[in-house]
Amino acid sequence: MLRLVRALALLLVAGTARAEDRPAVIVTDPGGEAYRAAVQRFGAVGEGRALAERVRGEIVKGLEWSSLFQELSPKAFLGPVETLALDSGPAVACPDWRQSGADALVEGEIRQGAAEIEIEFRAWDIARCRKLLRKRYRGDPGDARRMSRSIADDVVEAFTGQRGVFGTEIAFVSTRAGAAEIFVMNADGTDLRPATRNRSLNAFPSWSPKGDAIVYMSYRYRRQPHLFRLVRGPGEPGLLLPRLNSGRAQYRGVYAPDGGRLAVVLSVDGAPEIFTVGEDGGNLRRLTRHRAIDVSPTWSPDGRRIAFVSDRAGAPHVYVMDADGGNVRRLTFDGSYNAAPAWSPDGRWVAYQTRVGGQFDIWLIDPEGSVNAPLVTHPRSDESPSWSPDGRKLVFQTVRRGRSDLYVIDVTGHNLRRLTDERGADKSPAWGPYPR
Amino acid sequence: MSSLAVRFEGEQRKTFRRLLVVSGVAHVALALALVSMPTLAPRTVLPGVVTVDLVGLPGLPAPPAPEPAPAPAPEPPKAAPEPKPVPEPKPEPNPPPPVQKKTVLPEESRQLPKPKPKPVAKPKPPAPSKPREEAPAYEDVLASLRKEKGEARPTPEARPAAAPEAGTGGARAGVPVSPRVAAWLRSARNHVRGVWVLAPGFRTQPLETHVELHLDAAGNVLGEPRVTRRSGNPWYDESVVRAVQKASPLPRPPEAGRWPFVFRPEDY
Repeated sequence: MLRLVRALALLLVAGTARAEDRPAVIVTDPGGEAYRAAVQRFGAVGEGRALAERVRGEIVKGLEWSSLFQELSPKAFLGPVETLALDSGPAVACPDWRQSGADALVEGEIRQGAAEIEIEFRAWDIARCRKLLRKRYRGDPGDARRMSRSIADDVVEAFTGQRGVFGTEIAFVSTRAGAAEIFVMNADGTDLRPATRNRSLNAFPSWSPKGDAIVYMSYRYRRQPHLFRLVRGPGEPGLLLPRLNSGRAQYRGVYAPDGGRLAVVLSVDGAPEIFTVGEDGGNLRRLTRHRAIDVSPTWSPDGRRIAFVSDRAGAPHVYVMDADGGNVRRLTFDGSYNAAPAWSPDGRWVAYQTRVGGQFDIWLIDPEGSVNAPLVTHPRSDESPSWSPDGRKLVFQTVRRGRSDLYVIDVTGHNLRRLTDERGADKSPAWGPYPR
Repeated sequence: MSSLAVRFEGEQRKTFRRLLVVSGVAHVALALALVSMPTLAPRTVLPGVVTVDLVGLPGLPAPPAPEPAPAPAPEPPKAAPEPKPVPEPKPEPNPPPPVQKKTVLPEESRQLPKPKPKPVAKPKPPAPSKPREEAPAYEDVLASLRKEKGEARPTPEARPAAAPEAGTGGARAGVPVSPRVAAWLRSARNHVRGVWVLAPGFRTQPLETHVELHLDAAGNVLGEPRVTRRSGNPWYDESVVRAVQKASPLPRPPEAGRWPFVFRPEDY
């Protein structure tokens, strides 16, 4: 009885309630899969029309590749499939698009001249009926694809605040042309092209923070492992450490996030040790002093710490130290073989490969070692993780189809995709930074 | 342990500060765009056209020029010098391809199965020990009603930190909740979370946005949602507003009027 009275009283109170007197709906754990994007065929005249369809396809691909968008099929459009000329009618009819199920609308125009094309696009937030972005790209007709990819990344950024990585590149080692050479491709596996052609042995590519150079190890000089730097544009790769006594084997160079120096692995009395060195090859400083093998340095995004692999405890494990070599701390304790650490761009994780049974899986551990969880597990080996610059994806090598191929996966463990096509062994991927 | 937590907090603060800067810049940029734009349609935010001249960009996507093949192929990979310790103890065929670590590695047998910290298939973002928050469950509310320990307990608001702000429209501590209201709170939450899309990068951040929705008796959202407390991250706030607009109509509310909503990513 008392309870009933009480409930009635509550209802009465609620009846006169203002919002601040009401209990809140507390929403956690967002469950929406992805925004639905309606991408129109951009308005164009003449030759631009054929191009418009390709541009549309490329934008859709880039949006879906972000895992944050799904295409809304043009068949479901209640609005026009093609962007109408600006002066032909009212602006975007949001209710129609909303009813079609679209969260986003991408519309635009293509103007094709003899030597130049111009693509203008607008991205709409349909739920709020607001134009989020309007931008124009201009370039060589051959650049249409690049522009489309940038448009996709722009739209992802406008909606989520985090730029898409469709326009970034991945460097890797491949034997597809015979010897182990460095190759570069777009982050979705397209536009693959060679970066080295020295028919020697090349390994461990790593990008400069600006994306204008790749450092890698090669046996092309004196048949000894040396570090080379390959800069974009014409010009030959040069030795990274020209002043260093070349009797000392150089195995791997990794740029610090600020670009001013690198962590490098050099042999000392036969054992690889980690050093830092200025970009100009000067100011060499030794960080590790241990008879064990110390390799595979990876920088924390703030440049203050370095994770690396050492077998000082008997088996290879991941360690963390300050960037001056102090405060060495062991990070991984599980498993008998942990290697290839890669520090995430947001600093939260170190991805690494760990041996389970006779093969490797990829796990994530936080830099304090308190959370350690599998990301990629498969009966066949998955190795050499490298982070996308937004920290949302990783590329890695795997032999799950026989020869080593490169795959990408979201850090959530979803959206596994194969990037390369089993022509030769593809390994050691290094995901480049955002283009600047 | 506490120092660990402190460090962790520090990391968060840093990320957060960075986001603040980003958000600040974004706001200023937006403000500039708004100020400098010609007035078109009244409610349309129309950022100025940004023209990006791709022609001018120095060889952006062009790969590093392949180095020319040297006349004497310096090194057949097979003959790669190899008297040194395996430079990288990775299972990576090092300079000499013949070394395929996986097969070389001995003691496969004494490999203990890795102790999996948790059998989760996905790495859940960190903050492992944070208690998961839930909106008050129906049962909890009933239980608290049943208890009748003196005065009505506030709804089990799991988050003391939010309490000081509650007056701005968020969870109101001290409001007793009837079973009918509790049931609606739950169904409204499930309905909205199903359409809330958030970039993974924001899921692990301590963000909280409060909005107030004006609902009619059928659950339709009337007018614009009112953001009563911003998270400090404009993208996050946008995702919330987008979600509540898309969520219309919601499940029928106990009564028409203004209802507060609080949005937090999963781990905070």
